Amino acid sequence: MAEAPEQIPGERSARGAGTDSSMGRPPLSIAESVGKGRTLRGDAWRRLRKNRLAVAGLVWVAIMVLLAVSADLWVPRYLGDPVDIDTTQAASQSLQPPSWDHLLGTDRMSRDIASRIIYGARASLLVGAVAVGIMLVIGLVMGAVAAYYGGIWDSIIMRAADIFLAFPYVLFAIVLVGVMGGGSPTNVFLAIGLLGWPGIARIFRGSVLAVRENEYVDAARAMGASTPRILFRHIMPNAIAPLVVYATMSIGVAILAEAALSFLGMGVQPPAPSWGGMLSEARGYLFTAPWLMVYPGIGILTTVLAFVLLGDGLRDALDVRKKE
Amino acid sequence: MPPLMEVDDLRMHFFTRDGVVKAVDGVSFALEAGQTLGMVGESGSGKSVTALSLMRLVPEPPGKVVSGDIRFKGESILRMSEKEQGRLRGDRIAMIFQDPMTSLNPVHRIGRQIAEPLRLHKGASKKEAWGAAVELLAQVGIPQPAERAWDYPHEFSGGMRQRAMIAMALACDPEVLIADEPTTALDVTIQAQILELMREIQARTGSAIIMISHDLGVVADIADHVLVMYAGKAVEFGAADEVFCRPLHPYTWGLLESLPRHDADDGGRLSPIKGQPPSLINLPSGCAFSPRCAYATERCCSEAPHLVEIDSGHSSACHFSADKDFLNRSPHSATGKL
Repeated sequence: MAEAPEQIPGERSARGAGTDSSMGRPPLSIAESVGKGRTLRGDAWRRLRKNRLAVAGLVWVAIMVLLAVSADLWVPRYLGDPVDIDTTQAASQSLQPPSWDHLLGTDRMSRDIASRIIYGARASLLVGAVAVGIMLVIGLVMGAVAAYYGGIWDSIIMRAADIFLAFPYVLFAIVLVGVMGGGSPTNVFLAIGLLGWPGIARIFRGSVLAVRENEYVDAARAMGASTPRILFRHIMPNAIAPLVVYATMSIGVAILAEAALSFLGMGVQPPAPSWGGMLSEARGYLFTAPWLMVYPGIGILTTVLAFVLLGDGLRDALDVRKKE
Repeated sequence: MPPLMEVDDLRMHFFTRDGVVKAVDGVSFALEAGQTLGMVGESGSGKSVTALSLMRLVPEPPGKVVSGDIRFKGESILRMSEKEQGRLRGDRIAMIFQDPMTSLNPVHRIGRQIAEPLRLHKGASKKEAWGAAVELLAQVGIPQPAERAWDYPHEFSGGMRQRAMIAMALACDPEVLIADEPTTALDVTIQAQILELMREIQARTGSAIIMISHDLGVVADIADHVLVMYAGKAVEFGAADEVFCRPLHPYTWGLLESLPRHDADDGGRLSPIKGQPPSLINLPSGCAFSPRCAYATERCCSEAPHLVEIDSGHSSACHFSADKDFLNRSPHSATGKL
């Protein structure tokens, strides 16, 4: 058609001029769009707020993240250094019970436990986030490829997932420590992340298979969109909801796994603080200095619980069928 | 000059575990700019598969084009690379889907979805494409388009969504617009509005429309030519007036007879075509319609009729379509309905 090329730019400028007001509008934030009309995210946020346990989980996670992120600014000055040992008073300050000087007491090396807990939270949250990040990247790609291309790819990927599911992560972590040398958080999140992807891949595969049947996927192909574009722009956003839930809960599980590995001496190495490591050190003082064990234990329990509650709440909030 | 779109003896078969499903088995037609072709037939007669084949949207496998060709401006779509087909789709040939409730992506704003073909094919910037999307929404009759473009699909009613779908299909000024039962999921007043809108668009842009419907009323309303399909085959083809006023094939008679009529003189009973459409895996020998045809003879059961031109431009796939006495037995010729 000869007239097409001329027509389009002309139309564009005309259209552009007439709609400047709409273009000046910034993208709506969640709060604004709720006021304006219902959006999927706005709905979900409202449902989440109604769930008290989920809000409690969210608040606790937020507190933990805040403490962990801001730790360097105030913890060493007010609570004491989490690692360095003050040799001048090491003996007199060792194994103090909770007091105004040391809110949660001190350990054998006379380090402040509150300080170590906060820095331990940093290690735990970092491992949780990075491990789940690794899981997500691998799991999403594997799940999407398996679902969208199907056939032989589907078989290969899902069988690989089965094999990975059969791997005990403690053994895998031992191998990693052996190969990479020395215990470090890197080993921990590699172990958890590399072994955790099959769960994500399976959920995402199922979700993509369901979404793929929708007519808007055909419509996207009919408008000339390429396969990657359809996958990333049209299918993924619709298939992601169950994963948000799973990933949130996985952070809690990863934190637990990190604590277990550190407890066994394969994760974060002393003197660096970690909850699992602190529990391990506390083993010998179960009766003489129980606060050594109680506070890291509470840290693990509450944080994992918070992530699980938040994940649970997200599942309910993101379920469109629950629209009231 | 070759016709805008030409389908030549298209056979799209599906190779399934249960056997070969001959969903489209020898369909031919040509379409010129500004024309509207109506495709009618019962569910499972191969209308939608034909439409999807034109867009190359039939999943292969299990589907396979066994023979035939589809040409756009003389160039075979079947022989194009995936990339060339992608350039054609949504730009030169666009499609409107049946169910507006499920054909829009629930997580993207209406404006962005309408803008997407422009971003894909015209290299428009986000801003240009959004402006064009608002303009398109106005063209298809959405009030306050600048505001409504920010809505999500679930904030639109069914009729508005179908308008949005049409806006999306029109975004790049396509030369061929394929509408697969665009009004089936809508209520009757909205149907009329949507048909009116499509007619308006055609008058303005001069695009060719392929209108697929099992609703003869819709096709009679809008089509210049009508292709009647049965069991994957074209059984009658001709100008709309011809097909509706002087139908040649007993299947078309049946379709016309089964329409509800307000001036019915037989107590208001509908007269449906008896029986079910045949399984496309196990087609009856001879004429596929013979088991359900009230006029079938022995010849119909053994020898398959071919689509033959009876009057100029009006063809039928029935052994007896050329027989004047036979045509006089049609319920249609007696009453001269429609």
